[in-house]
Amino acid sequence: MRSVLCFGDSNTHGQMPGGTPLDRFGPQQRWPGVMGRELGPGWHIIEEGLSGRTTVRDDPIEGAHKNGRTYLTPCIQSHTILDIVIIMLGTNDLKVRFNQPPSEVAMGLGCLIYDIKELSPGPGGTIPEIMIVAPPPMLDDIKEWESIFKGAQEKSRKLALEFEIIADSLEVHFFDAGSVVACDPRDGFHIGRQAHEDLGVALAREVEAIGWANEHV
Amino acid sequence: MPDMRFAPPNPLRIADRASGLNAVSVRSYNERLLLSLLLQNESISRFEIGVKTGLSAQTVSVLVRSLEQEGLVAKGEAQKQRGRVGPPTVPISLNPEGAFSVGVSVGHKHTDVVLIDFVGSVRFHATLPNPTPDQNSNHSDFLETVKKAIQLLPGETHQRLAGIGLALPEPGDGAHNDPTPPDLRYSALQEEMEKEIGFPVFVQNDITSAAGGESMFGAAKPLSDYLFFYLGAELHSRLILNHQIYYGNSSLSFDVGIASLERNLQEINKPTEPLWDRAGAWPDYGKIKESWEVSLVEQMKRSFNALAQFVEIKTIVLSSYAPQDICGAICENLESSLIGVKAIAGSITPSPKAIGAASLPFSSRFMVENKEK
Repeated sequence: MRSVLCFGDSNTHGQMPGGTPLDRFGPQQRWPGVMGRELGPGWHIIEEGLSGRTTVRDDPIEGAHKNGRTYLTPCIQSHTILDIVIIMLGTNDLKVRFNQPPSEVAMGLGCLIYDIKELSPGPGGTIPEIMIVAPPPMLDDIKEWESIFKGAQEKSRKLALEFEIIADSLEVHFFDAGSVVACDPRDGFHIGRQAHEDLGVALAREVEAIGWANEHV
Repeated sequence: MPDMRFAPPNPLRIADRASGLNAVSVRSYNERLLLSLLLQNESISRFEIGVKTGLSAQTVSVLVRSLEQEGLVAKGEAQKQRGRVGPPTVPISLNPEGAFSVGVSVGHKHTDVVLIDFVGSVRFHATLPNPTPDQNSNHSDFLETVKKAIQLLPGETHQRLAGIGLALPEPGDGAHNDPTPPDLRYSALQEEMEKEIGFPVFVQNDITSAAGGESMFGAAKPLSDYLFFYLGAELHSRLILNHQIYYGNSSLSFDVGIASLERNLQEINKPTEPLWDRAGAWPDYGKIKESWEVSLVEQMKRSFNALAQFVEIKTIVLSSYAPQDICGAICENLESSLIGVKAIAGSITPSPKAIGAASLPFSSRFMVENKEK
């Protein structure tokens, strides 16, 4: 059995576009569930999606628990042994309150990669496969969220390149979710049901493409 | 002292979206390692790449992504392997449109020019008359011929052109009248041509080129050890051990090739033009051809047996400008008299030497070491 940790924000939590964290797609509809279905038996999918999660930043308004870095260590140790950690974060770091350029968000992601490597939660204490997923760019119209995310739309379009640079430099896997899905027009930064389906399928193919040794089942 | 973990990212490659081939200087050893595997195998999974190179899956991932963006590598459809436990494998292979190369071979009668794509398919082929010696320079007419050939290529292929490979015979066609070592002669010619033409030029002995072509794109692709014969005007041979083509200092050849058949035919006034047309078929030359084939096969057996005293070789590859059915018949003949030896006719058309020459820029620019010297 191989374990996959899906570490993300509301788009991993499965929050419906235009809804609240309570309006959530079902386990089979969320991308981690779809990916699990596609990967088939032999894979254990662990969902860790928190609405509002940032890469490395305590949120002065929503709370320190939104900081992805402080939660990552207990989270990973809780779920050890992990064969692969998939991280899709970055959108919340673009809130006005943090005032960060895309490159700093990528640097935050780099911290998470270092932390995972140091924890080495892979089989036999090895470094697991790490896959950085750049979130799809925000749409221009983000409804009532405009004040919270002012200026984030432009930045969100640059995350994929910045993430790919950090993934290259730290030698981890990378996937641009924007290459297969777009955000839903209902709020402009969450992904809808079909996008969850498409992203789950695409990520399953990416995980398979890594190449895995035969397991003696 | 800042924590260097959090210094600005220094990517293994530049994750830009530029098109065209990267400059030679920035191609890393690991990229070459990966491209070598892809040039030697039709397709391979990322897992197999990891096993063969010892690189981690994450490093392979970065390299493959880089080569994909550069357009050199294409991802295949996932394949569920029968009887295999675990996830399907995703094969990776070269993108045929990723790179092109020109090969020029100066032969006994003609100069062949080919354009091949990254998987060795011939996109263009022309046969030109051989360059004639010029009083004032060794190569000027020759340069014109090569330039003319490049001008025939479609414009959009120019930016993905890896270079030009040039396959040259030994001077004097067997008579060793030039004391300059081949390496020096080639590098002088290479320099002159690069200055004039503006693409990297790679020069190689033509028989070695043909062997390299069969090894990269032809019948010898899956083979690592074999005795290679080239049947041209004369009969030439090379030894290939562990994919490495041994050239040495010997350019020994035997006058039992197509030129000897031509002489025999001329004596009885038979037409000999079809002998030099790879695409065509030889007419029925009857007894003359039969006795020629006997002497040719005898010489091949002598070479093989001489070599067999030193290394055990199980396979013979016969490459030629002659039509494939002719080579096939010679191979059958060989196999029937050499027990336990497999003789394979080369599969490269139209010109093994020119296509082999075209493989040279690929091996020089994309592989870990230039194996063919």
